[in-house]
Amino acid sequence: MNSSNLVHMQQGGKLGTPGTVVLLAGLVLGPSAGLLAGSEPEEFFETKIRPLFAAQCQSCHDDKQKLGGLDLTRREGLDREGSGGPVIVPGDAGASALIRAVRYESKIKMPPTGKLSATEIVDLTEWVRMGAPWPGMRTARRTDTAGGAFTEEEKSWWSFQPVLRQEPPAVRNADWVRTPIDNFILARLEKEGFEPAPAADKLTLLRRVTYDLTGLPPTEREVKDYLADDSADAYETVVERLLDSSRYGERWGRHWLDVARYADSTGVDEDHKYPFAWKYRDYVVDAFNDDIPFDRFLQEQIAGDLFPAEEQGTVNARGIIATGFLALGPKLIAEQDKKKMLYDMIDEQIEVVGKAVLGLTLQCARCHDHKFDPIRQRDYYSMASIFRSTRQVEDWRTHVSELYFMPLVPEAEAEAYFSHQKKIKLKDQQIKNIVEEQSATHVMRVLPGVPEYLIAAREVMDAPQPPVPAAAASAETAAEPNRDEALMRVASQHALDAVQLGKWIEYLKPTDEVRPHLNWLLEAGEAELPAVAEHYRAEFEKIATKRYADLAQWRVEFDQALAKGEKPPERPSFFGGENRFFTETKTSNGPLGVSREERKKVFSADAFERLTHLEAELRELKRTLPSKPPMANAVAEEEPYQQHIFVGGNVHVPGEAVPKAFPAVLTHGKQAEITGISGRMELARWLSSPDNPLTVRVISNRIWQWHFGEGLVRTPNNFGRLGAAPTHPELLDYLASEFVNRGWSFKTMHRLIVFSSAYRMSTETTARARETDPDNRLWSHFNRRRMDVEEIRDSLLAIEGTIDFGMGGTLQAGEGQGMTTTNQLPHFDASKSYRRTLYLPLRRANIPKLLTLFDFADAATSTGSRSSTNVAPQALFMMNSEYVSRVANGFARRVLAERRTPDEQRVRQAWLMALAKEPTGPEIEEALDYISAFQKQSLDKDLTEVTSNRMEGPHRSPDYPAYHYSASTLAAWQSYCRVLLASNDFIYIQ
Amino acid sequence: MSAFKKSPLSRRMLLRWSACGFGLLGLRGLLAAEESRNPLAPKQPHLQARAKRAIFIFMHGGPSHLDIYDPKPRLERDHGKPLPFERPLTFAEDQVGGLLKSPFQFKRHGESGIPLSELFPKLARHVDDMCIIRSMVGDSVAHGGALMQLHTGTNTFTRPSWGSWVVYGLGTENQNLPGFITLKPTLFHGGSKNYSAGFLPAAYEGTPIGYAALGPDDLKEPIQYLERKGLSPELQRFELDMLQKMNRRSAEQANFDPQLEGRIQAFELAARMQTEAPEAFDIAKESEVTRKLYGLDQEETRDVGWQCLVARRLSERGVRFVQVSHTYRVGNPVGWDAHSRLVPNHVGRAKQVDQPIAALLTDMKARGLLDDTLVICSGEFGRTPIAQSGDGRDHNPYGYTSWMAGAGIKHGFIYGATDEFGYHAVEDRMHIHDLHATVLHILGLDHKKLTYFHGGRDFRLTDVAGNAAEKLLA
Repeated sequence: MNSSNLVHMQQGGKLGTPGTVVLLAGLVLGPSAGLLAGSEPEEFFETKIRPLFAAQCQSCHDDKQKLGGLDLTRREGLDREGSGGPVIVPGDAGASALIRAVRYESKIKMPPTGKLSATEIVDLTEWVRMGAPWPGMRTARRTDTAGGAFTEEEKSWWSFQPVLRQEPPAVRNADWVRTPIDNFILARLEKEGFEPAPAADKLTLLRRVTYDLTGLPPTEREVKDYLADDSADAYETVVERLLDSSRYGERWGRHWLDVARYADSTGVDEDHKYPFAWKYRDYVVDAFNDDIPFDRFLQEQIAGDLFPAEEQGTVNARGIIATGFLALGPKLIAEQDKKKMLYDMIDEQIEVVGKAVLGLTLQCARCHDHKFDPIRQRDYYSMASIFRSTRQVEDWRTHVSELYFMPLVPEAEAEAYFSHQKKIKLKDQQIKNIVEEQSATHVMRVLPGVPEYLIAAREVMDAPQPPVPAAAASAETAAEPNRDEALMRVASQHALDAVQLGKWIEYLKPTDEVRPHLNWLLEAGEAELPAVAEHYRAEFEKIATKRYADLAQWRVEFDQALAKGEKPPERPSFFGGENRFFTETKTSNGPLGVSREERKKVFSADAFERLTHLEAELRELKRTLPSKPPMANAVAEEEPYQQHIFVGGNVHVPGEAVPKAFPAVLTHGKQAEITGISGRMELARWLSSPDNPLTVRVISNRIWQWHFGEGLVRTPNNFGRLGAAPTHPELLDYLASEFVNRGWSFKTMHRLIVFSSAYRMSTETTARARETDPDNRLWSHFNRRRMDVEEIRDSLLAIEGTIDFGMGGTLQAGEGQGMTTTNQLPHFDASKSYRRTLYLPLRRANIPKLLTLFDFADAATSTGSRSSTNVAPQALFMMNSEYVSRVANGFARRVLAERRTPDEQRVRQAWLMALAKEPTGPEIEEALDYISAFQKQSLDKDLTEVTSNRMEGPHRSPDYPAYHYSASTLAAWQSYCRVLLASNDFIYIQ
Repeated sequence: MSAFKKSPLSRRMLLRWSACGFGLLGLRGLLAAEESRNPLAPKQPHLQARAKRAIFIFMHGGPSHLDIYDPKPRLERDHGKPLPFERPLTFAEDQVGGLLKSPFQFKRHGESGIPLSELFPKLARHVDDMCIIRSMVGDSVAHGGALMQLHTGTNTFTRPSWGSWVVYGLGTENQNLPGFITLKPTLFHGGSKNYSAGFLPAAYEGTPIGYAALGPDDLKEPIQYLERKGLSPELQRFELDMLQKMNRRSAEQANFDPQLEGRIQAFELAARMQTEAPEAFDIAKESEVTRKLYGLDQEETRDVGWQCLVARRLSERGVRFVQVSHTYRVGNPVGWDAHSRLVPNHVGRAKQVDQPIAALLTDMKARGLLDDTLVICSGEFGRTPIAQSGDGRDHNPYGYTSWMAGAGIKHGFIYGATDEFGYHAVEDRMHIHDLHATVLHILGLDHKKLTYFHGGRDFRLTDVAGNAAEKLLA
């Protein structure tokens, strides 16, 4: 594609109906991707020349400094101001002053700090030869962020306007109104000439609100209690019970975790584990259960580490954990363009803050101004500046960067642990150093004798093996004595140490491993063997001399650093593959190595004594190691960083410097002063301010959506120009201002909503509504919705009677950033756990299959609403999985638990448990017919009696009173129970 | 449904509304039902399709193009000398040596005379059916990013995989099998992200058949939940009839809400899949000769042989996109990633794949399947012309080789070239975006038109880049 960024294209594939849509090419492109788009000369310039100028020349020759009148940020700038004239002659490199200068051929030698690399000079020459193409002849640094002043249209976008307190409108049918929400919904319905759907029946409403607030089915008991409660506020009682339940935070916390793209690993790359991510998840669940005001909740997630601790002498662990919101995104820590890696992490944070909090696609302005919303590239980099001054990983410059873990105890306490651990490491190294030094001395001492041993070893190995006596138990055991015999003979013949010779034979004898480096030695003919053996010794000596000298030198430096209390230098690296004969033979169990037992004999007495002493010290250090401090995956302040705009999003082409700031179109020139290191505290305050119209609208819309299935704005993560307009803007503002006025309390909002008539409507539709408002934009009825995967799995466990309501913690083993680098690791088996689904580990690269099967949120990016598909693999899961089969079996056993219950009663009980619905007479009859027919059909297959009501095996199962019923009875009821669980009445919430 | 069909504008609006979520399927609109009833129905391609389906053979770890496909006399000559230009960004900084000539002999093969090294004696017999792309380019020097880019087009973000895009664009021919099947995928370097539907509806997600560490014998139930457990076919149908009776009743009560209707259809499709899909994986049905051809009788070739044979059976049955993975596993812990000990590594790996891949081409050709199936084979990158650790090579995404065979391409053809050292692609550079554009093109899809609206804009497999390589098209 050429450089045109806005291309009109045909909508392809999916809809089968052509309709023109605008393709926003380049809105979020990987920094390098854009470079491939241009024609060849442009590409050459962008990949080779512009970065070269930026890196090597612009510190003096930019639009500000213009040393020598030269400005290498613009094509025009090549024509030196003043008398200098142009530094290049397009097409003629030899005549170009610039080329002569970089070749150091002229008096002026550039750069003065040192000649460019040969490749760079060739590139520059080639560029001039090509005619010095400069894409669009544009100014390099300005174009992408030309932005400038906002137009009236840009400023007047609806979602940027202050939230206005809305009075509920008057309605004709005032009786319908229970909460002010109803005024807004009904007024519009009346205006459009629609009737609201009738109220849902009692049980439908109970099931709806129970799933809505807790993600679980009402229990049989709860159903019966509710049916029996005739009081006027029976429904209100239920709602209060649900809001008080800890199950509430698990349900609503999970909604937020979708938005926060929560997961337990880095996802891309080797999928490194975030060992403490679960603490963030638990924090979110607790925050909802405790109804923490949303403004506070938000502040903690952006800057919780910067809030003071509640108690003196402690740290704000909760706040630190909350910053997991920023820390837990996908990260490609093995990326080798480290700078790109760092800015990809920052980009990811800008994206999640933008989408989750502001409903804006801020990340679209990474490479150029946002194409649709008034977000300039400089806004993007002003935000990037905040996260660039925030600690992302332990050290972003390292080969595979280490994830950052923050201790949750005061620094001194953590320091005590880490410094103690460092001492252990140093002590350990001191021990290793002595062993290494002494072993090296030993190796060099015995090296001259090595050829003799090699030759002797060959002699033993080549000795003819007498035929194995038939009586011997096995060939192996029989062969050994013969070889030992040969060994003893050869050893005494050549006056060699038999034990030592045995070690060489052990090393040289063929193993499963392919060892080409030994081929020459093992295959050499008798005549050439001495020369070959000597060659092996000489090669060994060459590499050993060098390596041992390097290490000796390093040990000196190590000891010096240790004495001064400084950080010891890195041990010189060595690649063992260079001479594997050397590497293998000198190890402690190799033929030249010194085993632990031999140390006393081989090492000098003084060294051995030092060693013994150090080992005792090490044991003591290990014994006194303080307990490991608790940690979190979090962010922290780094040093303040002066961020520049990156031209075209390319991290290697810095442009203009930008201050830390929030998107200018939203601050109206009243940017808060940033005094903190990163500015996250100021960002947190600004985001959570009641005056920020986006934050409060976006979250109010989410609350509505999580109750009704769709938002008033149906693009919950996009309130920009490509988002949808609100169906009820006044209602949205009403909710937003109520939310703020009532202390940002979720639970207050829940009451406002679930007590309304709008919420209590049935899913019944009129023909008119179906035809003219198929998407229910008027909210003339309640939206039927398919359960999400958490509801499905949790319901199955609840109905089976096995659910484990234990809260929090992790189901993943081990700490540290363990990675998935083995193909042996199966997917986490969700069927083995009875915990609620939100507690299953979420390794981004291996999300439990059951979750993805039912449209789990893509944990890689902020998810505003999940899809809800009905595909065949889901049906197969319901029909054939052992999981559903097991649940149906447990369900059937529950239904069969009481001996005396009549079968009609059992059917009714099954319906109440799975569907929270009363079966009609014909439905009961149908069920009983089915069960008896099924039983008849399966009769000839299995007549074993079920004598215990307890399931076999390690499976968690309630203990029901046992009585006898036949296996075919159980099979028939199990089948019927599976039908109920697979039914639409189960999986859809009405 | 009719109301909706009459109004393309609403469709578009719907598309907009779904922008931040997962597309259309969560919507109340009737379109949702249509899609959710069968998102995999065959669709008209944008262009004349040159191939109907594809098999992608993935070689994990980065096979060395210099030792298999791209002979370099200059390396013979300058063996041991330093690289005469600056190295680009690399993965490993340690133990870098001079230029390393290939320890393997190259010979010309077939009528085309295309050279291949001795590592692939059996594949060499097929060069006249192949198009060798010697100018591949990617952006990542680490495995993780490189795998992701090869499979999804990007090394930074997580996006839909190319198999998902293909099935999204074309649907699939056999409604009783998934449209995109990946055989024994790797669990790391992106793992399931390499076959995920990303923000496309879940129906386009690749269906994994086992995972890398499993042997062919461990895959008793290739597609999850396909096998009936405990119920006879008659009893299960009896149960299903009861379920459908209840579901139809509830759909009726709900004025035939399309979502509910869609779910009824999903169960019928599942029942059909259950009868037909196991047969597709049942290689016992193949003759002894065929099983031998693929090397199922030898330990080394059995794994890839099984995958190739199943791939053929799936292609034959109209599965749109099948992936075979020769990847890291027990006994083969580094795949093709020969940072050291190039010779034993590549000899061992080549033995595992040469016969099965050659068999796949032989068998497909004999059955006429190569006439309308595209076979693609690639690693995530190639390897450097300079030595690492004395006898190995580092990662090289700047110039390497992939190949195609079968429908839609020139046969016995070499496309593109690397420099005389084999480090950088210099002629007809085929960036991964270009490869994707080319493969889509061969399958009848215009990569610029194959878009999906998500998170505020239209997305493509090829982002804003990519050109179909016209020169290699037949």
